[in-house]
Amino acid sequence: MRNPLDRSGRRRSGEEETHPAGDRTTGWRSLLRRDSVRSAPFWLPPFLLVGLFVYGGIAWNVLLSLTDFSGLGTPDYGSLDLENYRAAFADPLQAMVNYLAGVSGWVTSGSIEPQTPSWSDLTIDPVWNSLGNTVLLMVGFSVACLALGLVLAILVDRGVRFEDTFRTIYLLPMSLSFVVTAKFWLFMYNPETGLVNLGIQALGFGPVRIVQNPELKLGAVAFALIWQFSGYAMIVYLAALRSIPTSHFEAARVDGASTVRMYWRVIVPQLRTATVSALVVITVFALKAFDFLFSMYGGYQPGPSADILATRMVREAYANQNWAYGSTIAVVLFVMALCIVAPYIYSQYQRGEL
Amino acid sequence: MSQERNTTRRRILKGAAGTAVAAGLAGCTGDGGDGGDGGGGDDTGSGDGSDTMSTEAIELLHAWSSGDGNAAIAALIEGFQEAHPDIEFAEEPVNGAARGNLDQVVSNRLQSSDPPSTFQTWPGKTLEKFGEAYADIEGEVWNDDLKDNYLPGPKQQAQLDGTFVTVPLNIHRINNLFYNTAVVEAAGVDPTSLSSPADVVDACATIASETDAVPFAQQTSGAWSTVQLWETVFLAEAGIDGYEAFINGEGDVDAVQSALENVVALREHYPDDASSIGFTEANTMVMEGDAAFIHQGDWAAGAYGGADDFNYGEDWSQVTYPGTSGSYLLNMDSFPYFANNPSPEATKTFLSYCGSAEGQVLFNREKGSIPPRKDADVSSLNAFQQDQFDDFTGADNQPPSVQHGLAVAPGVATNIGEAFSGFLESYDAEATAEDLVDAFN
Repeated sequence: MRNPLDRSGRRRSGEEETHPAGDRTTGWRSLLRRDSVRSAPFWLPPFLLVGLFVYGGIAWNVLLSLTDFSGLGTPDYGSLDLENYRAAFADPLQAMVNYLAGVSGWVTSGSIEPQTPSWSDLTIDPVWNSLGNTVLLMVGFSVACLALGLVLAILVDRGVRFEDTFRTIYLLPMSLSFVVTAKFWLFMYNPETGLVNLGIQALGFGPVRIVQNPELKLGAVAFALIWQFSGYAMIVYLAALRSIPTSHFEAARVDGASTVRMYWRVIVPQLRTATVSALVVITVFALKAFDFLFSMYGGYQPGPSADILATRMVREAYANQNWAYGSTIAVVLFVMALCIVAPYIYSQYQRGEL
Repeated sequence: MSQERNTTRRRILKGAAGTAVAAGLAGCTGDGGDGGDGGGGDDTGSGDGSDTMSTEAIELLHAWSSGDGNAAIAALIEGFQEAHPDIEFAEEPVNGAARGNLDQVVSNRLQSSDPPSTFQTWPGKTLEKFGEAYADIEGEVWNDDLKDNYLPGPKQQAQLDGTFVTVPLNIHRINNLFYNTAVVEAAGVDPTSLSSPADVVDACATIASETDAVPFAQQTSGAWSTVQLWETVFLAEAGIDGYEAFINGEGDVDAVQSALENVVALREHYPDDASSIGFTEANTMVMEGDAAFIHQGDWAAGAYGGADDFNYGEDWSQVTYPGTSGSYLLNMDSFPYFANNPSPEATKTFLSYCGSAEGQVLFNREKGSIPPRKDADVSSLNAFQQDQFDDFTGADNQPPSVQHGLAVAPGVATNIGEAFSGFLESYDAEATAEDLVDAFN
């Protein structure tokens, strides 16, 4: 059996020689014979479906965010404006001042003047608070997750006993759903019976309220997420470590490098691709922490110090039926995800891996 | 031979793929067409409906998919079908059992102009969510019999801007203080002697010093229990006039703050792990004698009824929350009537049955709540429900609950929920009071 790609390629080039381009029937036929056209039944349906349901959905959402759609009825696409974005990002200077002062928007929320868009009877708070929390959660969680994953991967890679068992234990939490892990950590953080507090008390400190403590809330959520996803980072790093030739380790040893120096100077720099690909997946998980917060706080009101864009979006859209404003927050989330994914895809493209 | 088979297979594949694409495209345009029809086709829809309405089944959407709620709706439907054997149900409980999910399903159907016959919803200001989709049922359902037998509070909640659109089916009371008799006796506290929210705090202090039990079983992992508690304390302190001023958006910030400060004082007597537990755990503490008081709606009593050796009057009891005597703070479920109804006559017959004393008793016997009709014969309900019903019929006023969607519009309710989720973090009464008054702006 000959390679069909070769065969059609050769035939096409042959035809181009014998027939002038102006010949319509043969032009049509050669168009039909093209690989891209001949394979259309295979790529066209998924292409159309993805185009419609993913990119079409995104485009529609952007369009919706420009309308005044709220409540029942149909959106009016006749008058599009950026009013919702102005409401979402009202008073950026004040928000910046609050943020730099290290105060959450909650304490000084009176100083940011919320706007009342034309479609609303009530004032609409800007997204600064939830945006800040989202960025904080994303950065803190991803960095800690990657660091922990790297350490675990190096430990497992050092050839410890029961390596497979450790690997499974570390990876296991990732297979659990957010609902399960949220309830589980609610027990863990219990000031009377929770393991975390028993640990703190064993160190000689009093029981600490964690779940509703504004200073620890977001950290507690991030900690639980780190527990859940550091195993994933470990697996990605482990695979990358395994692909580094043994000769690199040996060469470093021969040159007299200590173990720490060897990893720091020789091995870790080679993990760049693994870091970037794990980072993308992990930050996207942070954007999706909605399920976790929803289960932990029994609804989409996790409180101002743990409120993220996703919970705010659901509140606006489904509790208040402010569909257009909900779409606006969705667009903000989308742009944030894009900011993470786009540089990755671009670097892959530049390195010829895409 | 093999060549031929190959071609056929390839042709079939191509054909199949082509069909799939065509079907996909057809699906899209079909969808678009539907949407367009739905937008402008209200009239034709109801015109169609009126021809066949007597044979249409009632589409009743509810989220009572388990427990006492499920038993209650089953009892109601059974009673209705005995009275009206000719009317059928296409009953579709919305799974997930969350009211928010149910609202979303109804919202989607209303967007596509395909409303159900009726669905489970809070009456009062919650009706504003789908305001324009409801239709007037005064006269046909809300006749003189209903108007005479519903007390003013529930009757007002059945109206959206003065139009009767829904039929309240049951009443859960919010201003209760339940207690474990053995624990309060051990501490020497008599709950019936308490007369203000401040007395409750003092009683809690006594319980804390006299016993090992938690004085006040409250959960704070979700904000809803604290909103309920605050609205009860606020009703006690500000009185019915102050309460109504608040829910009309003219609340006195000092009175709001004072009630919040009482909650802050009560907080000292919560369980240490209040933020990690839910309502069920908190209520179990009372049942097991680990806690003295719990403030909750009277669904808490439903759990007591299911426990062995935990009897009303002996092991547990209830007082009207101190300071709120004369008020019956309402939480209700209701069935509204949609315009463009898929089964107009059958739905109205069903809603009339929901408005009858007979139907309400069948439902509430299972649900643990009380019938809204003052002429209901409650002799088949349990002793606690009968006492609650006596309180209800003897109440001076029946204010609507903030937390349970009656008193404030959905957008305001979200703001209040946000304010309280912040309150649970900071317990800052002053800032929260301002947020609560601002929630209406």
